[in-house]
Amino acid sequence: MAANEPNFQSLMTIRLEKRQTWLGITILMGFLISIPFFATDYWITLLVLIFIFTVYASGWNLFSGLTGYTNFGLAWFIGVSGYVSSLLIADYQFFWLLAWPIGAFFVSTISIAVGYILLRIKGVYFAISMVALTEGTRELFGTGFLEPITHGGTGVPFVAGIRLPTLYWSVLLLAFVTIIVCYKITSSKFGLRLIAIREDEQAAETLGIHTTRDKIIAFVLSAFIVGLAGAIHCTYQNYIDPTYAFNIQLTLTPIVMTLFGGVGTVFGPVIGATLFTFIHEILWAELSLLYMAIFGGILMALILFFPQGILGWMKEKGILPRIRKI
Amino acid sequence: MVNFIEILIRGLMLGSVYALVGMGLTLVWGVVGIVNIAHGEFVMLGAYFAFWSFSLIHLNPLLSVVLSIPLFFFLGMTIHKRITERLMKAPELSALILTFGMSIFIWNLAQFFWTNTYRSVPYLTGSFPFFGLVFSKSKTVSFGLAIAITLALFTFLKYSRLGKGIRATSQNSEVALVCGINTLKMRAITFGMGIGLAGAAGVIVSLQWVIFPQMGSSYISKAFAIVVLGGLGNIQGALVGGLIIGVLESLVTQYMSAKMAQIIPSITILLILLLRPTGLFKR
Repeated sequence: MAANEPNFQSLMTIRLEKRQTWLGITILMGFLISIPFFATDYWITLLVLIFIFTVYASGWNLFSGLTGYTNFGLAWFIGVSGYVSSLLIADYQFFWLLAWPIGAFFVSTISIAVGYILLRIKGVYFAISMVALTEGTRELFGTGFLEPITHGGTGVPFVAGIRLPTLYWSVLLLAFVTIIVCYKITSSKFGLRLIAIREDEQAAETLGIHTTRDKIIAFVLSAFIVGLAGAIHCTYQNYIDPTYAFNIQLTLTPIVMTLFGGVGTVFGPVIGATLFTFIHEILWAELSLLYMAIFGGILMALILFFPQGILGWMKEKGILPRIRKI
Repeated sequence: MVNFIEILIRGLMLGSVYALVGMGLTLVWGVVGIVNIAHGEFVMLGAYFAFWSFSLIHLNPLLSVVLSIPLFFFLGMTIHKRITERLMKAPELSALILTFGMSIFIWNLAQFFWTNTYRSVPYLTGSFPFFGLVFSKSKTVSFGLAIAITLALFTFLKYSRLGKGIRATSQNSEVALVCGINTLKMRAITFGMGIGLAGAAGVIVSLQWVIFPQMGSSYISKAFAIVVLGGLGNIQGALVGGLIIGVLESLVTQYMSAKMAQIIPSITILLILLLRPTGLFKR
């Protein structure tokens, strides 16, 4: 057995040559950019969803995957940013290109305060408090108290004056930039500090890492990225209401995707999002009623038997090099 | 003034059921070390158990309460042995995600099989007049049942040998192991007890309110608030916490609105974790 191992590794190790990867990326991007010119609306919308969830998953992974603080409040980022952006478009006739970043800035600014308060709480309690925050905000947005602004629980249908191809290119750009940002951060010293926090926060503090500051920065960054995607997602759906915007499924799905692809890796969320959106399409068409139950079952099976995800497994087997960059 | 007392007592009755759910959660959390996000789903299953046994074989719901305890106890023990015990060595958050998935799995399966139609168990209707105050029969009987179960639980934990073993494992599982306590068995039994409490609470709930697949989510929110209020692993704290949450909900519903009352668990959790994270009561 031991004699066989080195052969397996040298045969199967994928070498990442710089020139080849640049060529591959250019071809892929060229292909994706040209999609609206020849594909049907069905495929364009499918890709839009894939890109949105790639950003959700990558944004979640950027914070939770690296620092180890499981953020169960992704829907809070999406809901708050989505509401700000959609209300600006619907009630104040803002241009979508302005409304989206404003929504993202809004949620990330509040996240500074939220992060400062909640990130002292570790592990399980942090997860619970994020869920509490999401639930509380959802209820709050539905009350009569905030109704003049948020239209209460009735929801806001709206049209943003954006054509599908433009939406597609915007999300494509966002997904591309997000992956680059995640790649850069994970490979950087900042990323290394975050991983140190995950591995042993006390030891990291002893080494002089400013854990609170770094956690908050990662948290706010995650909020901004997810917030942008959330604003676009709501615009895409032409509708928003508290139940949909703060839906637990919006938290659950990116987490499952990231788990499947490999938590803490750069491309894990991308792979997970792509594969799962396809699986979602198939499941939805065939077994729509059981769809969520199957999702829950998959999540359980993943945690029990395959917690490292696809990329994690590949790294363990030596198929992929065990570096932070991927 | 009379009105206020009525609201208070109603809050206590409400809280007694919440306390059952909370005590189950904190018991499991303290002894097994797992946060069971699917805890609310077992309350839902208990309610459906009462409904189906009442509808199909006309089983007296009060009997269902008694039956549900061993039934859900064994369900819980099986789930623990097959599923959650594997995660004892894994990081704490894996259990969180696992039970999260389990929760989604259970209520969606329930939705698939039993549909979203509201169900109810119209067994106890009408009310008691009592010194000028009026209380519904179902709520009063539920209160009594909840008190009975709570007393049984406390007696068991305090005086029985198993109960002492459970408390020992909760305080320090390694030392308990060294003392010769079979901590594996303790964990399985405790998990079973937690689920048993949830199931019994579900049957009690079925007497008073409508039953639908997603009802678990409001119970888990309140259960978390209760556990955080009372202190992790602190069962007496969970009892008091449950009563507090019940009273708060009753007061806010009366003087503000039912919708505002839904925010109480969230605010409670956030406030306690920020101001007094160990809970109101020392362990």
